[in-house]
Amino acid sequence: MSFAPQDWFWLYDIPTQQLALGFVAVFVGFYWVGSILVRPILRQFIRHTAGANDIVGYVLSCFCVFYGLLLGLIAVTAYQNVSGAGENVTREAAALSALYEDVSRYPEPHGQNLRWLLRDYTRYVIKYAWPLQRRGIIPEEGTIRAEAFHEKLLDFQPQSPAQEIVHAEALRQFNNFLEYRRMRLLSVNSSLPASMWYVMILGAVLNIAICWLFDMRFITQLVLGGILAAYLGTMMFLIFDMNQPFRGDVSITPEAFQTLYRRMDEE
Amino acid sequence: MENGVRLVGEAVMPRRRALAGGAAATLAAARLLAPALFVGCTSGIGPRSRTVPVGLLHSQTGPLAISATGLRDIELHAFERINEAGGILGHPIEVRAPDPRSRPDLFVKRARQLLDAGAVALFGCWTSLARKAVLPVMEEARRLLFYSVQYEGNESSPYCVYGGMVPNQQIVPALDWLASKDGGGRRKVFLVGSDYVFPRTANFIARKHLAGKELKHVGTAYVPLGDRDFSAVVKRIRESGADCVLNTVNGDSNLGLFSALADAKVDPAKLPVVSTSIAEDELRGLLPRQVQGHYAVSCYFQSLDTAANREWVAGFRREFGFDRVTGDPMEPDWCLVHLWKQAVERAGTFETEAVRQAFRAGLEFAGPGGPVRLDPQTQHTSKFFRVGRIRADRQFDIVHASPAPLDPDPYPEVAFPGWSVDWTKEGVTRGPEVDIDGPV
Repeated sequence: MSFAPQDWFWLYDIPTQQLALGFVAVFVGFYWVGSILVRPILRQFIRHTAGANDIVGYVLSCFCVFYGLLLGLIAVTAYQNVSGAGENVTREAAALSALYEDVSRYPEPHGQNLRWLLRDYTRYVIKYAWPLQRRGIIPEEGTIRAEAFHEKLLDFQPQSPAQEIVHAEALRQFNNFLEYRRMRLLSVNSSLPASMWYVMILGAVLNIAICWLFDMRFITQLVLGGILAAYLGTMMFLIFDMNQPFRGDVSITPEAFQTLYRRMDEE
Repeated sequence: MENGVRLVGEAVMPRRRALAGGAAATLAAARLLAPALFVGCTSGIGPRSRTVPVGLLHSQTGPLAISATGLRDIELHAFERINEAGGILGHPIEVRAPDPRSRPDLFVKRARQLLDAGAVALFGCWTSLARKAVLPVMEEARRLLFYSVQYEGNESSPYCVYGGMVPNQQIVPALDWLASKDGGGRRKVFLVGSDYVFPRTANFIARKHLAGKELKHVGTAYVPLGDRDFSAVVKRIRESGADCVLNTVNGDSNLGLFSALADAKVDPAKLPVVSTSIAEDELRGLLPRQVQGHYAVSCYFQSLDTAANREWVAGFRREFGFDRVTGDPMEPDWCLVHLWKQAVERAGTFETEAVRQAFRAGLEFAGPGGPVRLDPQTQHTSKFFRVGRIRADRQFDIVHASPAPLDPDPYPEVAFPGWSVDWTKEGVTRGPEVDIDGPV
């Protein structure tokens, strides 16, 4: 089994509610099937131990503390990953907006040409780059548009001290924009390492396996264990959904660029 | 239980039956829920309908970017509209547009990359240098290149569809117009161009056409592509006594030419420059005072006052911005994309040979500039000939137009006697070799 991100991208095509339900169904289903097939075998080990349920309960609560901590930390990491990528997107759009303002001060025809090159870049990000990012592909043609803008920006020869100041500021803003753009591209495929997924899944399986050791009525076992398995499935879903910053419903949208593009278009 | 002794099978069987029943119910529920649960789920390979890749080969940086970027955008616009309407044969078109950076060697490399990535056809190239470099790659891969820029003719490839004007649709009528009363009855023309195959061949055809005519050729000058220093050329034009200039300079070298003409205070009324490769997009980089009053010859101008054109321009601006302009060769490019779509739909496949066979039907498309017909013999298109005078707002007043589209002739008899092409029959018929740099 592989945990390479691209092997699981198809899961992000499932609508969120259905995906959440799927995760819960898999975990509860696994617990129930195990209750039928594995539980009778496991219980052989503790059948004649006095106070077996107390021991299992103690082990389970100890295990749950560590596993819960791990899940919590991983969920926070995944959230920070999405949040950081979102911050980069906002900064890139802000730098682009500032750059647009700077080049609006350029004399014509330079100003108009530079403005439409920035508009072209923004349109590309919204229409082409975002759908690619949502498929886990790093968009390449935005680089061409950024280069085209840079080329035209360097073509401009300031003719006065005021123009020199504006030009220097535009170049500085362009470098900021490039930095945030690179960070956005780097975050397209940023996700939890495979080893974390292995540990999480092993932990979930052990958690469930410990529940199979309880000695109680079968139906009670199915209901109580099922509740725990359902919550485990929900946590796994949450981490999975946040794992890829640009995929799934809990992902970064191009809203910052869309707002900017609308403003550029209105002027 | 009986006396504390469990009878074999007494309690086990009901539990087994309950478990079996539960398992069966779970499976039945899973089967029932599965379609709802996994609706919208794909295999991970791609969307349900296979996308078909198409390559756009336009310089987005370098000296040709000023002209070629508009072509990329109009092609994106065309394919976006096509995809919104359901794609071609039900397949969405996936557009890939790498940057050949105005370098012929990179055009070849990018073309190979696009074809290797599965592009079924390429749309692109600006200069003839780039087109001639890419054509062997297309012929080797047996895929079609759609070329929308006006060019010199004297070429035919079964794997190229030419959507731009050829000299009998542009250069020759332009010279005739200059010599006419409407064109000012000019008598001395100076030919200026970028130093590569299109301007040299176009000027050869111009000189051949002018032989024995009242309008005389008084000089020729070539400047390397991308050069912007035209002061010496303008001096030569002045000294030649020319009363008009036929300009085949390409790309942003035009900025240098018109800047030098303005610096030399050339009056467009006395010495008009008639450009073959200047459209609304190139005028963006020029100041109105440098170009106002000069002319361009083309098959299309944005200012064309028809409902179809107004709608098309509005659609493009809505998508790409209020200050964007359309022009030649953007309009032919739009027509080429739609002619290809027609051919693919008629063929029922994206396969090149079947699409070429579909050309034989004589495809027609109602373009924004008027009806366009793809000539199956030459794989060139019919074109209106129009002359536009540059206005202060960097648009054109259309001062002359042919009454009907002109049929293409890639081998005008006056310049290439004995040469012809018919792709519905034997292909190219070769005549005697012609030296375009030799005496006329």
